[in-house]
Amino acid sequence: MTDNTGMLSFPTPDEDDVLAAQIAAMYAATPTADAGTAERVARAVLADAMHTPSRSAFGVLRPRWWWGAVAATLLVAVTMRPWRAVGRVVGTTASSSASANGPSDGATVAQPSGMVTVLSGGDEVRFDLKLPAKAREVAIVGDFNGWDEKATPMLRRNADNSWSAQVPLTPGRHVYAFVVDGTRWLVDPLAPQVPDSGFGPSNAVMVEGATQ
Amino acid sequence: MTDAELVALTRDGDADAFGVLVSRYYEACRRFAYHMLGDRSDAEDVVQETLMRAYRAIARYDERDQFRGWLFRILTNQCRNALTARGRRTRRFVQDEVALEQAHAPAAGLQLGTEHAALSRAIAQLDSLQREAILLKYAEGLEYTEMSAITGVGESALKMRVKRGSERLRVILGTRDE
Repeated sequence: MTDNTGMLSFPTPDEDDVLAAQIAAMYAATPTADAGTAERVARAVLADAMHTPSRSAFGVLRPRWWWGAVAATLLVAVTMRPWRAVGRVVGTTASSSASANGPSDGATVAQPSGMVTVLSGGDEVRFDLKLPAKAREVAIVGDFNGWDEKATPMLRRNADNSWSAQVPLTPGRHVYAFVVDGTRWLVDPLAPQVPDSGFGPSNAVMVEGATQ
Repeated sequence: MTDAELVALTRDGDADAFGVLVSRYYEACRRFAYHMLGDRSDAEDVVQETLMRAYRAIARYDERDQFRGWLFRILTNQCRNALTARGRRTRRFVQDEVALEQAHAPAAGLQLGTEHAALSRAIAQLDSLQREAILLKYAEGLEYTEMSAITGVGESALKMRVKRGSERLRVILGTRDE
């Protein structure tokens, strides 16, 4: 939904109001359940609860099959402390440890950093993103994939929270952002940004080409 | 009696109090689940599972939250789980317009009027996250802060989903060119 200038086009408030009213009317017209259904469901819920051991009070202290796995994970984490840099001296101050480990120390990176590389051939761009903390999944969204969080997942490059994705882009200006764990939208604070049009900030990249 | 009072009584073991909460919110939950899942039977299963989980977790309910919002948080999660499980088996939402036209009518008891059927079918064709956002915003009439609390999704992302979903609906309904 972009015009010739690449800018997003927005529906008028009237269009949204009309659509909202139509949906509300359709929703309200949904036929209701048979009489007595809610009561039957309530009885079923309560009957199920009577046959399920209570989880309240000391219920959580009952032995569980996953206790062993949790204990093993905790043991490994406490013993190896993977979040600490190798060779770091215990008890140093934050400033000294930062200078000793340099800016690439994961513990001192406070915000995400990214890099955009136009690959040879000029029709494909690689987005690199380094996050300050671990993430389960990262995706790139933008005008090139309809801002679809599932369309372009980024690949985890290695264990240092670096992610990358290669995206074919046509010449021109493109607007994008990153989505972490499917919920958190973020931008590269050091990359060019476009004004917030009501949906949060976005980065911008310009791809040059003969057909621009 | 307020929801908070009914919750307090339920925690004290008053089963009738929970029955009142169920009768108060069953229809709202069922309506949302039906439009999310597009199937009456699946919707009723999901609502029953939601109410069971709510009853088991009622000790953890925070009185500062609206009970309806707390319940819908469980409900939206259950709908997502149901859609994920269904996605593994089969896709029930048919994307093909012709197939939709030739499909059997919805099960008796949830048949919408003609003027609403096209809109209902169009909503069923949306991506599930867009459908969830559209229903919470326009059908439930929630603010983005409430939607964010229910879905665990940021307001910017929800605004984008509503915007994209609205655009898609207009295209499907033929009120705007793609």
